[in-house]
Amino acid sequence: MIRENMRIAIQGINSNRLRAALTMLSILIGVGAVILVVAVGNGSSKAVQSRIQALGTNTLVVSAGGGFGGFGGRGARNGTLSQRVGITPQDVTALQDKNNAPDIKYLSPVRTASSVTASYQGNTYSPASFIGVLPAYSQIRNYPVQLGRFISSDDQANNAKVVVLGTTDVENLFGSATYNPIGQQVQFNATTLTVVGVLKSKGSNGFQDQDDIAIIPLSTMEESFTGSTTPYNQLAVEATSASSTTAAQNEITSTLDADHHLTATSATQFNVLNQASLLQTTSANTHTFTVLLAAIAAISLLVGGIGVMNIMLVTVTERTREIGIRKAIGARKPDILSQFLVEAVFLSLIGGLLGVAAGLIGVHFKIDGTKPVIVPISVILAFGVSLLVGLFFGIYPANRAASLRPIDALRYE
Amino acid sequence: MIRLPSRATRPPAPNPAAPQRPREVIVVRRVVKTYTLGQIEVHALRGVSLGIDRGDFVAIMGASGSGKSTLMNIIGCLDLPTSGRYLLDGVDVRGMTEDELADVRNRKIGFVFQSFNLIPRTTALANVELPMVYAGMSKKRRRERAELALERVGLADRMDHLPSELSGGQQQRVAVARAIATNPAIILADEPTGNLDSTATREVMEVFSRLNAEGRTVVLITHENEVADNAKRIVRLRDGEIVDDHRTSPVDGPPPHFRGGTVATRGAS
Repeated sequence: MIRENMRIAIQGINSNRLRAALTMLSILIGVGAVILVVAVGNGSSKAVQSRIQALGTNTLVVSAGGGFGGFGGRGARNGTLSQRVGITPQDVTALQDKNNAPDIKYLSPVRTASSVTASYQGNTYSPASFIGVLPAYSQIRNYPVQLGRFISSDDQANNAKVVVLGTTDVENLFGSATYNPIGQQVQFNATTLTVVGVLKSKGSNGFQDQDDIAIIPLSTMEESFTGSTTPYNQLAVEATSASSTTAAQNEITSTLDADHHLTATSATQFNVLNQASLLQTTSANTHTFTVLLAAIAAISLLVGGIGVMNIMLVTVTERTREIGIRKAIGARKPDILSQFLVEAVFLSLIGGLLGVAAGLIGVHFKIDGTKPVIVPISVILAFGVSLLVGLFFGIYPANRAASLRPIDALRYE
Repeated sequence: MIRLPSRATRPPAPNPAAPQRPREVIVVRRVVKTYTLGQIEVHALRGVSLGIDRGDFVAIMGASGSGKSTLMNIIGCLDLPTSGRYLLDGVDVRGMTEDELADVRNRKIGFVFQSFNLIPRTTALANVELPMVYAGMSKKRRRERAELALERVGLADRMDHLPSELSGGQQQRVAVARAIATNPAIILADEPTGNLDSTATREVMEVFSRLNAEGRTVVLITHENEVADNAKRIVRLRDGEIVDDHRTSPVDGPPPHFRGGTVATRGAS
């Protein structure tokens, strides 16, 4: 009997193809939109995550109070001006002690020189960041080289006049990002530095261009640019593992507080930026965004369902006489009910399947620079909901049809 | 599948008054039907009693408003009487639910309507199969029976045509085929020639006469005298009461205008 009802329902749909196609289209758009929007949200969140992971999830960045204010790092509280001291070589020594900080693997102070202009054969360029670091920095911040080498401990020991450039700087100084500048002499303010390496391109992390950077040995930086009397700008730290970043963060805070004779009641004057927590925050943001968009798409699915109901009501009215005939020759209430219910579900089923197909095709295109990544559960959910929508919005019209009295239905013109 | 208990397994309604196979296929006893239209009570039937024998060919006549449509709705189990009893083929329909009435219509009545009432965009064969679909018959069996029924009304060569591709007379013959396919106790025709020209009317009436000659009970509702002349018995209604009931031919004999021969060989018009 269910086979018969399906046959009758398909016949009904077939008899008004344009109307059926338009109804299916509304479901198609709803299902397709849900799948696509969730895929785009997922894709962009994946992209941001991979960019942040490129920074190194084990990485912690310590800066003196206020330096990273508002960046959202855990424990980021601004120290008052009178307390501001900054990170000193003693702090570094204390943190290098495994007794104080067992969860720290590598550590590198960072000195930043501002307003440094590089020039090479008439090309001038000011890198966004010009920093002096220890060789471990490459490991800590996940900065591998694509050409040449990173600064070495020999460079550090000898105050070597060497520089490692990011690809943005290579492009601006040498005219092309693919140019091999190894061995070239570049003038940085009054100091001539030899290029020994080019960093692998990392792209933007969503906040800044990570390739717009020039790195020199810390000793060279102190000798030629900043001097060694001021505090370090930052401390880049790598925790032993991604899961120990919080422990490392606590160790850093307590060690520095002890070193600077700060009590628990006085405000911490150091900010520790935790990449893992940054990752969490960003993921939460994209998640909220995706949920919002998916909700809008889901509303269009609901609207599609109302379309199904509308069409079914029209169909029932149009076929009142047919319903009367069927009842007169022996169709029971459930027969008529299932006939129209199957028709409604069939409309949304086909619409849903086409929507899934449209969604699966749609994710192959880049949308606003984001490669959508399909979320399997969204496909199942959108398709399932479309079926339920057909069932739910089909019940009322089908019940109306089934409740018609045969004598009234037969008399209907 | 949403399905009430199977039609096959449901026991027949106990009815001590009726023997296993009563002589009278239709028993209407003091049937009253009253409609309430707002404040006004309309007495469509004021106590009608009628018995129709198996194998009879009865024409029920009357002007519009005489209650003949109401009587036909009650005989056809499309409506229930306000009071009085109605037994169809020994089954008392009193107190039946809508779905039970649907089953009775399906098994015991073959309907033929004035406006043919075929399902549009559905072939003649599928239309004839439809009551057997609702009876839960297997596809193969109902196909055989539908083909046979269409042959009986002379439309063997029109089985795969849509109603829109058939003439009025042909459509009505498809409707007759649909009515006889389930082998019902009665064929109930409501103004079957009302929408037909005289040629088609003759064609269709020949089919009815032939079916009656083969032993089927035919109840015909009409207001045309020449149509009623085909019947063996004429019942006239006026103001909800039977005013005349006379027999023109014996129940056992052939219908008065039946000329014999087969309709099938006449082919389509």
